[in-house]
Amino acid sequence: MTAVDTQQPAEVAETYEHYAAEVPASLVKVHVKNLDFFYGRHQALHSVTLPVIEKGVTALIGPSGCGKSTLLRAMNRIYGLYPGQRAEGEIMLDGENILERRVDVATLRSRVGMVFQKPTPFPMSIYDNVAFGVRLYEHLSRADMDARVEEALRKAALWEEVKDKLRHSGLGLSGGQQQRLCVARGIAVRPEVLLLDEPASALDPLSTRKLEETIVDLKSDYTIVIVTHNLQQATRVSDNTGFMYLGRLIEFAPTTELFSAPKAKRTADYIGGRFG
Amino acid sequence: MASLRRVRRTVVDGAFTGFCWVVTGVALFALGLILWSLATQGFGGLNLNVFALPTEPSGSPGGLMNAIVGSIVTCLLAMIMAVIVGVLAGTWLAEYGGESLYAKVIRFLNDILLSAPSVLVGLFVYNILVAHVIGHFSAIAGAVALALIAVPIITRTTEDVLKLQPTALRESGVALGTPRWTAIRKILWRSAASGILTGGLLAFARISGETAPLLFTALGNQYFSVGLHEPMLGLTQPIAALPLVIFQYAMSPYDDWQHLAWTGALIVAAAVLGTNILARIVTRERRPS
Repeated sequence: MTAVDTQQPAEVAETYEHYAAEVPASLVKVHVKNLDFFYGRHQALHSVTLPVIEKGVTALIGPSGCGKSTLLRAMNRIYGLYPGQRAEGEIMLDGENILERRVDVATLRSRVGMVFQKPTPFPMSIYDNVAFGVRLYEHLSRADMDARVEEALRKAALWEEVKDKLRHSGLGLSGGQQQRLCVARGIAVRPEVLLLDEPASALDPLSTRKLEETIVDLKSDYTIVIVTHNLQQATRVSDNTGFMYLGRLIEFAPTTELFSAPKAKRTADYIGGRFG
Repeated sequence: MASLRRVRRTVVDGAFTGFCWVVTGVALFALGLILWSLATQGFGGLNLNVFALPTEPSGSPGGLMNAIVGSIVTCLLAMIMAVIVGVLAGTWLAEYGGESLYAKVIRFLNDILLSAPSVLVGLFVYNILVAHVIGHFSAIAGAVALALIAVPIITRTTEDVLKLQPTALRESGVALGTPRWTAIRKILWRSAASGILTGGLLAFARISGETAPLLFTALGNQYFSVGLHEPMLGLTQPIAALPLVIFQYAMSPYDDWQHLAWTGALIVAAAVLGTNILARIVTRERRPS
């Protein structure tokens, strides 16, 4: 398996300037290949190919409406909630195409967690929020569950702030705390991949910094894909970056490289602030 | 010119605001009159006998006990049926039906049912349950008729409050690997609980005062008809209900029956008011800060 797929139809590949860094297949956790995505008749993604490297942070940047979130939402098939949305192509997770019909989406989503733009604590206690997903898949003893909840909250850098009020409602936390609670909830089920859809866009600068530190800490255990509008954030947290424009992946490279020496003109224009 | 326009605006504004005040006043005055006559006429007859004795022929000391119990029984039975059907139907419309043709048809029919004259509902249940399936008037038929009135209200409010829940909440439940149905039950229903409960309470308030659908179904009963020793708990027998007794007694020529009708009306009004207040308290307390 080569990193950059050569089966792309020539006419699609040649219509726009794009560059993708070569990545050894052994490092790739999720490999998106020739992904087309449709909202009804509207095609939102055009033959996107993107390697997501294991135990690293991959950032997706680009102007609004370029398909970053769409790409992210394909990776756990959350789009399946909406009739009329469909994906064509391949998304290989550990060598298995998750877009195939026979894949059980609930199991897939327990392996590929997701945190959304706005914090979405469930209307229950902090403890139950974190334990919610775990209870679906594992029957843990009281002590084991306590330990799991603590572990998840520690990894999400929230433990110190909530350890004395685990029985309080999750809705009572601040926005930043709620978002880290959602991260804790996501990692409590021990997923392999974590998808973050602009997780800091509703947060104040301090909470954003805490969340970013959390993300960097988490990458030793998880494969992370983060969609962000904030270019500085991409440089701070990610190892690799994909720049998307009009539903196409224009450039994919190690983050430092993409920001210091972009190959595509569009990438250079975007990170130089000339559009978007 | 400018000042003239300002004067005109002030005058028009004042006139419109004044008109609103007057119209509101008229509505409140009418409501006040109704409550006032209810209170003055009803409180006089309020005593323990009302709650302790069943209805009796005019001249003998009697109360409304059988009617109060009958109303509670039929309304509770109706609510059990209506909540199950209404909440599930509303959930289906909000979460699964979407904009499919089937969902649109159901939604349209539900809206029609919402505004259907309740006497028609009574006749419908009469034709099916009373005339054929059961063969006579009964508490169950009454409860079914009331449930048919409550179902569209609960369906509608359930759908509306579920649709108000943020998409992200729905998605984040599913994104954890929760099966759709589990996410709806454990997250969305909980999040929408106060709204769904309010819908239920409003439906309860509505059916507790309904008379027309009961006329053809529960019929009314001068005696106490429910009990553990009765076959089928007495639910297959005609049953008394407050609105029926009010209707019958208010039309009667006897003073003591007319007084009881007023008292019964006061009890129904108090129950409806109580449920509405409860609905408000519940909504306020459950709202996240």
